Amino acid sequence: MVDAKEISSKQKQIAVSEFFEKNKHFLGFDSLQRSLITAVKEAVDNSLDACEEARILPNIRIHIDRLKGGEIRLIAQDNGPGIPRDAVEHVFGKFLLGSRFHAIRQTRGQQGIGITGVVMYSQLTTGEKTKVTSKIASDSSAVFVDIGLNTRKNRAIKSREKRDVWFDEITGEVVEHGLRIEARMKGKYQRGKQSVFQYLRMTSIVNPHATINLIVRDSDGDVYEQGSWNRTTNRLPRVVEEIKPHPHGIQLGTLQRMLRESEERKMTSFLRHNFSGVSMRAAKEILSRAEINENRSPKRISTNDAHGMLDGFQNVKLLPPPTDCLSPIDDLLIKKGLSKAIDSRFAATVTRIPTVSQGNPFQIEVGLVFGGDLTADGPIEVLRFANRVPLMYQQGGCALTKAIESIDWKRYGLDHPGAKGLPKGAAAVLIHLASTNVQFTSEAKEAVAENDEVFEEIRRALLEVGRGLKNHLKKKAQRKKAKEKFELINVILPEISKKTSKLLGKPEPNLSPVITQIMNAVFCEETLGWDSQQKLATCLIEVFNYTARARAYTILVKWPESDTVKMAVNPLGGRKEARGIWAWRIETINPGCSTTINIGLSGLTKGDWADTDIFFRGNGDIIGATKIDEKLLEEMRTTESLNAAQNEINEQYSEKEVDHLIQRADSAAKSELDSQLIDAPPPESHSSSIQNGEPKISDYLTEELE
Amino acid sequence: MSDYTKRKSKEEVILSLKGIALEMHNKMERGNPPTMTLPVRSKTNIAFDKKLEVYKYGKKKTVRDATSLGSARQLLRSLYVTEFIEQMIEAGKSSTLREMYYISESWGHGKFGTQNDSNNLAEDLEIVTKCLREDFKLRPEEDGARIIGNVTFEERNRKGNWMRINCRDDVGDSGYGVPYNVESEKLKLITEDVDFIMAIETGGMFDRLVENGFDEDARCALIHLKGQPARSTRRIMRRMSDEWKKPIIVFSDCDPWSFRIFASIAYGAIKTAHISEYLATKGAHYLGITADDILAYDLPSDDLTKQDLNALDAELTDPRFNSGWWKEQINLMKEMGKKAEQQSLAKYGLDFVTDTYLPEKLSAIGLDY
Repeated sequence: MVDAKEISSKQKQIAVSEFFEKNKHFLGFDSLQRSLITAVKEAVDNSLDACEEARILPNIRIHIDRLKGGEIRLIAQDNGPGIPRDAVEHVFGKFLLGSRFHAIRQTRGQQGIGITGVVMYSQLTTGEKTKVTSKIASDSSAVFVDIGLNTRKNRAIKSREKRDVWFDEITGEVVEHGLRIEARMKGKYQRGKQSVFQYLRMTSIVNPHATINLIVRDSDGDVYEQGSWNRTTNRLPRVVEEIKPHPHGIQLGTLQRMLRESEERKMTSFLRHNFSGVSMRAAKEILSRAEINENRSPKRISTNDAHGMLDGFQNVKLLPPPTDCLSPIDDLLIKKGLSKAIDSRFAATVTRIPTVSQGNPFQIEVGLVFGGDLTADGPIEVLRFANRVPLMYQQGGCALTKAIESIDWKRYGLDHPGAKGLPKGAAAVLIHLASTNVQFTSEAKEAVAENDEVFEEIRRALLEVGRGLKNHLKKKAQRKKAKEKFELINVILPEISKKTSKLLGKPEPNLSPVITQIMNAVFCEETLGWDSQQKLATCLIEVFNYTARARAYTILVKWPESDTVKMAVNPLGGRKEARGIWAWRIETINPGCSTTINIGLSGLTKGDWADTDIFFRGNGDIIGATKIDEKLLEEMRTTESLNAAQNEINEQYSEKEVDHLIQRADSAAKSELDSQLIDAPPPESHSSSIQNGEPKISDYLTEELE
Repeated sequence: MSDYTKRKSKEEVILSLKGIALEMHNKMERGNPPTMTLPVRSKTNIAFDKKLEVYKYGKKKTVRDATSLGSARQLLRSLYVTEFIEQMIEAGKSSTLREMYYISESWGHGKFGTQNDSNNLAEDLEIVTKCLREDFKLRPEEDGARIIGNVTFEERNRKGNWMRINCRDDVGDSGYGVPYNVESEKLKLITEDVDFIMAIETGGMFDRLVENGFDEDARCALIHLKGQPARSTRRIMRRMSDEWKKPIIVFSDCDPWSFRIFASIAYGAIKTAHISEYLATKGAHYLGITADDILAYDLPSDDLTKQDLNALDAELTDPRFNSGWWKEQINLMKEMGKKAEQQSLAKYGLDFVTDTYLPEKLSAIGLDY
């Protein structure tokens, strides 16, 4: 696939406007409606990227005026670092061609040509210049400048430049730092599934650290549509590491260019310094396979030899590429993002461990929400993202959608006629693919191309959230049944007895044996709540014994234990059975009696603890609780003790030192270590990789350990 | 005579109703969930009673017990209804089923969900207590039939006086309206001068026959069934058949629903199988329109819908239609895929039905005029 940048570099000589005109369909400026969305997208992506780099929590304001004559005024403002005066021309007036091609990391990835496209599109459709206001923190005043384009020279033309104090239009306060763009263009604002609103809503889901506001006004100044999405976390996405390309993902053209442009004198150092995952041993093996002398100069490698190298890349055992170049959103934040944009009753999210496909690290995140204000008729809503960028078009042709369709959702409680197409029901599914190289079906970058490994990862994640949904629905049904039974014995039965006694003039019978007969079970009910005074997430567990004999159980509850989440209230004591599993021994519950356990957790915010599982140990089932799987518990404990050991090691080496360790391991090229690491598949989950035995370097690369 | 036709005293009615409360109370005293036992009310549990010559509920019983919320509520409702009926009997009042549904608003957890709930429960109570709805002082909402013809009744009016009414001379075009209670304490059959009684499904056809003076020409009484006939309509037909020994002829559309109307008149309805011997007229004759008639008279017809076909299939397994003639008719209809209305006879003019169709059909069964 040829990407837009390559195309544009080839066409450098042609006037840029011509290039734009020819390629506007995949630059996102093909229809009036889409052009506006693309313009907003470029502005918002720029803002998010700039804020992320400057470690600023973004506040983004989009203001759209629907003017007469099919024109639109778009104002995009952020609180980002701003652009220094001298760089304004560069940022707005040039196609930003190719960042260093050998540096790979997850970026939002420009849709086409970035913000310059907006300047260009405005100028071409209305002849208007784009008004830019920029303020950087270290300057005392802001720059106000109009930007136009000299399309023949591919250069910006600045006009009416001035420096002044910048007062915010809405708050009236002096702006410390930020960027404001005002452009006038042909465009059409349309509501619905493919709208600016939907784009911003989706953006806010995967950027829970951003506050985004939208206001759209009619030509007479009336509000046409507005949206407001507040940040749900103050945690910025972590800074991603740049990595070198991995040989498994390299194509001939790229390799040849890298060879040509290399400064290295020897082929071994070329391989080791330009690629990730290539040890000295591997470099030598590749070269010997390709029959290339180790000391040859990279610049002198022929096409034939390059072919041989590619062959070697596939057949020599290599270290997998590091995965810390990815920036997942994190499952809890996805949950928060989803609940911010969609009000629903149930949310399950999964962040898979990063893995590698064809030399490209990637990571899958999936969220599923169910119920609430989602509509039950029609197919579920699909929210697709690639590297935190919403994908709004070509849903049907996207591998992410196909992965959803490949699952038999009937088994997980959704209506899925014929197990074909999208399932139906009051649900929305979010899929985020984070990768250093997202492969799209076309240059329009709206649909992800099929890839078996990616597909399989998505499926696994979906099955996991599907199981969560199934559990939730089962629990809901069980809870409903229990509630009915409670009403039956507590309300209806006493009334029946009162009525028959009155009609017959007889004394009321003793109902407890009747109740025991009707229920003949032990029930458990849990209620999650929020203590706003003490700022505690609370859980009340009630166990009712409606059987004819006394019962004894151990009740276990799953809770979100972490370094910050502690059990602040727990009058019954009990004990910790595993991380996140607390247990209480209940000695005797007599027939017809009940016992209550209540706990309060600190370190959470309201709504964080929305779902839990209750387990029991003992004879006789409890309706509303699951019998604990002792084997699983044992496994959890084993994992934990191994984790503890790992953490100790972790403490000895700081993160930086681990990096050194990796590098040392890398350059030392211990062949035994190599083969051992390469044979092991990328870790499926934390626990499985840890249980395989001694700690591996790959474990250090997969985020913090649980 | 069965338990139903024997009129019960107030005390007997209250006692039978309290029997329901007693079953529940005894169960609870023994430490068991309260129950109410009643026959299964579906077509799988109706059988021909040879002695009574009608279809009655079979031996299948269902026990409604308070182990699920729905049935427990139903039990509680029965008790509320019992209490309500007792109060009405003591106060000498009656109420419609609909009124009872609204009164249940104040019954808390015994409140009815829908009108259908209260109707079904009234039937349940009839079955369990072997009393009639009339004994419970519950009136149906449904319309009684209209009768035109040379027959004379005596009806006790609101003031308690007996009024003599001839259904040809003392009534307007809409005929004599049959009251909801047609038992002997309310209605007496006095004299008649007719050869047969013809029950007609649709109002349009009833009015056509009246306008054409068919009742006098053919010496018959005409009854408008108003669709699925009310209990009182079926009961008065039964009484005319019993007391006057007159044949009952049914004239309806030719579609599966009309067949069911006939079955409920001739053999008893599934919902009221507990009182079939009191409502059903075993000798009732289905005159038309038959499937044969559609062909023989080349009547304008409509295609059978999916629901029609399902209904026909259901009738093929219904014991009431388990006769050679009915199976033939139903299968013929399925084959043609057609149904026809009574009024399709108008294809040949307004008088065709009285001048040609009915005389021909009646003559075939020996009722010449």
